[in-house]
Amino acid sequence: MRVASHSHRLDGSAGGCGTVNGAQTAWDLLHEEAMFPRITTSCEDLDNILGGGINCKEVTEIGGVPGIGKTQLGIQLAINVQIPVDYGGLGGKAIYIDTEGSFMVERALQIAEACIEDMSECGGLLRKDFQAFQLKMHPNNILENIFYFRVCSYTEQIALINYLDKFISEHKDVKIVIVDSVTFHFRQDFDDLALRTRLLSGMALKLMKLAKDFSLVVVLLNQVTTKYIDGSFQLTLALGDSWSHSCTNRVILYWNGNERYAYIDKSPSLRSASAPYSVTSKGIRNSASNCKRIKSGVVHLVISRVGHG
Amino acid sequence: MAPLKSLEQEYPILDSNFQSFCASHDIFSVEDLLLHDLYVLAAFAEQESSSERLKQGIAQVLSIIDGQHQPWLNGIELLEDAQRNKHVLSTGCEGIDLLLHGGLRVGQLTELVGPSSSGKTQVCLLAASNVAKKHIGSVVYLDTGNSFSPQRVTQFICQHSDPAIDQAKHRTLQKVMNNISCKSVFDIFTMFDVLHQLEFNLRSQMQGGDCKVQLLIVDSVSSMVTPILGGSGSQGIHSWHALMISAGYLLKKLAHEHNIAVLVTNHTVGGDGGISKPALGESWKSIPHVRLLLSCDHGGSICNVSILKHPSMAVGKAARFMIHN
Repeated sequence: MRVASHSHRLDGSAGGCGTVNGAQTAWDLLHEEAMFPRITTSCEDLDNILGGGINCKEVTEIGGVPGIGKTQLGIQLAINVQIPVDYGGLGGKAIYIDTEGSFMVERALQIAEACIEDMSECGGLLRKDFQAFQLKMHPNNILENIFYFRVCSYTEQIALINYLDKFISEHKDVKIVIVDSVTFHFRQDFDDLALRTRLLSGMALKLMKLAKDFSLVVVLLNQVTTKYIDGSFQLTLALGDSWSHSCTNRVILYWNGNERYAYIDKSPSLRSASAPYSVTSKGIRNSASNCKRIKSGVVHLVISRVGHG
Repeated sequence: MAPLKSLEQEYPILDSNFQSFCASHDIFSVEDLLLHDLYVLAAFAEQESSSERLKQGIAQVLSIIDGQHQPWLNGIELLEDAQRNKHVLSTGCEGIDLLLHGGLRVGQLTELVGPSSSGKTQVCLLAASNVAKKHIGSVVYLDTGNSFSPQRVTQFICQHSDPAIDQAKHRTLQKVMNNISCKSVFDIFTMFDVLHQLEFNLRSQMQGGDCKVQLLIVDSVSSMVTPILGGSGSQGIHSWHALMISAGYLLKKLAHEHNIAVLVTNHTVGGDGGISKPALGESWKSIPHVRLLLSCDHGGSICNVSILKHPSMAVGKAARFMIHN
């Protein structure tokens, strides 16, 4: 006999038949989704296979071999989140959790300057927005809006992620959380593998909850390792078995000859596709071999966003 | 089980005198009374001054307990129930429907097991869309991985419909989408809360027409159990094992008593010799009525599904299916 302690009022907002309090109908969720734009990656081809960019309220894992550009993409997103909504960003701040010490602030400055330069080039199209933007956006402002945390052990990482709830409640303009890289501290010397699985899956759920509750973009960067499968060595994401189901979407970055490619490995709504990208002095951009000029790429993006506004 | 104190209001014979008598024998709740030797207790009650009232009190508690269990059913009644109430819901996926002789059976717990990206969430979304679309009933979708995609559901619903009048299609789409309720749950305790709420609402509501819940999906149940799996009793008086088993039983109870088909997903872990096996271990194996193993050709859209467990079909029976884009 259970004494019902919480109220069983049929919640009007539950829609449908009110059978679960606090639930939303698929129709409401469909319209809500339209209200949350995606963050551009600054590479048009990559944005296209992602349905416009990295999505809110979802945990996206990005994995790849060292040197493929994971940290570059992480820094690019930390900067792009600050771009106004009409230009492909969310007008918000970023949290960057660095577990390996890969974040280079000089590189972030370089990418920020390039981002502002690109914005200015197409700013002429929307005069008033551009002037307001120019006043706000200075490379120093961009760096100021990135909250950087360095963690050196798995306990620090878990403590920090537990703390994020409070931090983000106090800093409501944070729109993206990037963890670079998420499994690093769980790979070395973990004696109790059952404990490791518990900690990882608990952490994954907390990140999911953060993404949903605060409508954040959560990006987890992961390393790739070699695994002996079916008689040969294959590349798989680190901690594959205990971790692979813990994200909403997964993107794999890989080399195809001399070119960098991204592949959608897991997604509830996007189809599997590949797109080339490149890492330039300005950050992540379209692959040079596509013969698309960078300027026209950004202009195209601005036009498509304005069209939806 | 409820403490004796809370029953006093409804059953005045269980007054403070009765309660203090029980307390003197370390009995504070209904559960404690059941564990106690009732003959010995009655003998002690004899020796008290208010022995008659005390013995009536004991009898009252026992009759409360009696009222708790399900009514006895004979074979004919079970068959009638099965034929009338326990029909089959098509998943919208031909291959799986063929394999299961129609689809998901109401009253049963069906589990989809598979490695990452094998199509588990896609099958869940497709089944939800299909049940909502065919006006079979409403769907409750519990999502642990922020994977419920309304966009994808729209695609599934609009897949085979006539490109007819836009406005009519819009209104139909809205009606169908309103039949699917989605809630994010991120831990097992919240899931228990949600399921108990659902149970309460189903019992107290007048069921009828389109509104009746026919399908409950939990994607995925393993995500909620793995954070506690193997841990010590730090979760309180219940170990992770008891929580997992209770969750399974609650899902099956909901399925049977309220004529719902329950669909859950589970992932795989590495087993002996590198062969993958379903997560959640040996004790979970016996909980679902039907267990299906999914696997997908890497990057391809052709998936394989085979039977791991079924009440009336052979293990190993397999089929292939395709989820259209």
